[in-house]
Amino acid sequence: MTTSNKLEVKNLSKNFERKISLSSLSFIIKQGEKIAIIGPSGAGKTTLFNLFTGSLPFEEGSVDIDGHPLEYWKRKKQLANKIGVIRQQFDLVDSLPVIHNVLAGRLKDWGFFKSVWSLIYPQEKQIAFNALKRVGIEDKIFARTSTLSGGEQQRVALARLLVQKPEIILADEPVSSLDPARSEDILTMLTKLADEENQTLITTLHSVEFAKKYFTRIIALKNGKLFFDLPAEKVTTEELTNLYRLKELSP
Amino acid sequence: MMHDIIDSFDRRKRFYINLLLILIFLWSLTAINWNEDLVHPGGGVMIIQILKSILQPNLSFEIIQIALESTWITVVYAVAGMTLAILYGSIAGVLASGILTNNRILKKVSVGIFRGILSFTRAIHELVWAWLFVASFGLSPYAAIFALAIPYGGILGRILADALNDVPKQPIQALKLAGASNWKCLFYGYLPFVWNHMLSYTLYRFECAIRSSTIMSFVGLGGLGYQIQLSLADLKFDEVWTFLFFLILLVVIVDLWSGLLRNSNNSKFSAHALLRYFSIDRLSIYIFTLLVCTSWYYVIFVQQASLLKLFSSENAQYALKFFTGLLGLNEVQPAFLNFDYWKTAIGLTWETLLMSVMAIGIATIVTLLTVIPAARNFANGTLTASSSFWQWLSFGIIRIAYIFSRAVPELIWAMLIVFLLQPGLLPGALALALHNFGILGKLCAEVIEEMDHKPVRNLSTAGANKAQMLLYGVLPMVMPKFLSYIFYRWEVIMRTTIVVGFIGAGGLGQEFKLSMSFFHYSEITLLLFCYLILVFIADFFSEWFRKAAK
Repeated sequence: MTTSNKLEVKNLSKNFERKISLSSLSFIIKQGEKIAIIGPSGAGKTTLFNLFTGSLPFEEGSVDIDGHPLEYWKRKKQLANKIGVIRQQFDLVDSLPVIHNVLAGRLKDWGFFKSVWSLIYPQEKQIAFNALKRVGIEDKIFARTSTLSGGEQQRVALARLLVQKPEIILADEPVSSLDPARSEDILTMLTKLADEENQTLITTLHSVEFAKKYFTRIIALKNGKLFFDLPAEKVTTEELTNLYRLKELSP
Repeated sequence: MMHDIIDSFDRRKRFYINLLLILIFLWSLTAINWNEDLVHPGGGVMIIQILKSILQPNLSFEIIQIALESTWITVVYAVAGMTLAILYGSIAGVLASGILTNNRILKKVSVGIFRGILSFTRAIHELVWAWLFVASFGLSPYAAIFALAIPYGGILGRILADALNDVPKQPIQALKLAGASNWKCLFYGYLPFVWNHMLSYTLYRFECAIRSSTIMSFVGLGGLGYQIQLSLADLKFDEVWTFLFFLILLVVIVDLWSGLLRNSNNSKFSAHALLRYFSIDRLSIYIFTLLVCTSWYYVIFVQQASLLKLFSSENAQYALKFFTGLLGLNEVQPAFLNFDYWKTAIGLTWETLLMSVMAIGIATIVTLLTVIPAARNFANGTLTASSSFWQWLSFGIIRIAYIFSRAVPELIWAMLIVFLLQPGLLPGALALALHNFGILGKLCAEVIEEMDHKPVRNLSTAGANKAQMLLYGVLPMVMPKFLSYIFYRWEVIMRTTIVVGFIGAGGLGQEFKLSMSFFHYSEITLLLFCYLILVFIADFFSEWFRKAAK
């Protein structure tokens, strides 16, 4: 097992009904890297994440985590310890109080009865409280999730990730439904938390500006292909213009 | 940390409400004397016989012919009743919404009076209406038709009034500014908004009307229910099943029809202009019009039921006698002035309440146990990202059980159950539960099918297993809707308790039947009064709980 190669993607391809969604992607991500994946809509960013979480099967290529294929971690029921996800729509259960949404990050280690009992009498309350304190909303611990604002809900999702403690965080457009000030706030927190826990962070983003500001490496996708893969400071304006250009002018 | 008692109560409010509901249900069970006397000696053998004949329904030519004929009569009464219900419901519904007048006082008066009339007419179960009509004008198809039309019109009217009041105000305001009168606003503004909703709701009521029309036979009016009753009395269970299968088929057809209609309304893009011309909406209206015409033709010309004959002097005599009887004019001491009878009536009211709680409790438990595998998105794996042959198998079996359960009216379930159990509260509650679990199950399964999948999927990426996904994702998301459906069915059950009482399930219904048979009409007045109080209490509590649970 090579400790430095956290996530290794080799010749990964995915087709949807004859349409190529991802073609032959390869890259290596090391432990503790902070990566932004950018690219125009439809470039395959979300598809890539769905392949990483195992919610979509892929036809060709391989995805290895810590030197073992996804399937291996899935079989060992360890995938949730390796990979955690945070999405643009937060995907929280609105009708539950915040504490249960946070403690959902513990479900992987809980048995059935503990899970049932916790709904009535919350278990491991201290863990949830600490996580919420780190994201700054510990006073909302018993509030109903649906009563929270968008920014607060995103913090709840972050607190869940803190409780889940995955080694790799996949953040799928984590700030696209927030205003610029709140986006910066969440991104600062996300990168800070990932640093503190020495986690690997992979984020898809619409905003190039944010990508350059908060991340160390930028991977650009276009039409399912790798467009560039560069350290953040080396990305040039010209490359970005090419990335987002609608169509080539000459046939 | 920072929780005081009020805060802690507030955040557990829903938990306490659920606990309270469970306790109320458990306490209702204590009203039954749980011992071997509950079951008939030999009842078990009888039930086995009934169940055995399910596989061998009587398919002889003769029985099929009777079944077809009585199916037709059932449909005719249902359609004729629905026509009148739609007429009554649309007129009273529009008036009850108060949209036709700008005068504030006139509006209040119109809304008050018509809402009152609508809620009174729908509070009384159709079978009770049927019985009152038969008692006052004798056996006539019109007794069945009116008995259906009155409560169904009451429900349709209420739903229409609510829908009209929920129409967004801005488009109506725009029409008014363009110079439209209130009437024009009704046709160009309000009705187009509520049309789809009302169409699918009316079709759903039509499905219910078919079941109701089936049980009209109980007071001596023909149809499928009458045949079922006759065959049951002769212990010819193979024939009973034949008739039941016809009934189920009928309900399934109407259900499919309304499903098609809903889907066609949901999909915004109709493929082709020609296709749109023959769209399911249009086709539905043609079919319904055709059904209405043939049904009325059949009632008036084939059954030769004359509406004028109802008003013969002989009938007037009967009616007069019945109404003076209800008012207790020819009695020294009418039942409603008799203290002892009040005590009896209140005791029976209490029993009826217990029966309804037991019924909804049982129906809820069975629903909760079955509803998750009954959701299509669970069976095909979109919900939990895993699908198997067994999931599809259990989906199929449970869905068939739901259809079966709701296609058979409560009264017929009760008739079957009294073969096994001694008359009393339990068979009544079981019959109500059997019918309602299918309806509740279908409604709740649809809630699961329409829920947002993403939070559940996200739990799975956080490492939750299937049971944990249901506990932390599905249940909290669907529970508020489930509760509101449970209360809605409880209201309906309350209205129906009186009906299962007719076949000996105890409570107000049983006493109602006895008083009817002995012509003790002043008792009927008191019993109906108690029944109405119960129904209004149920409506009130269900409204209150629905708000509290939010």
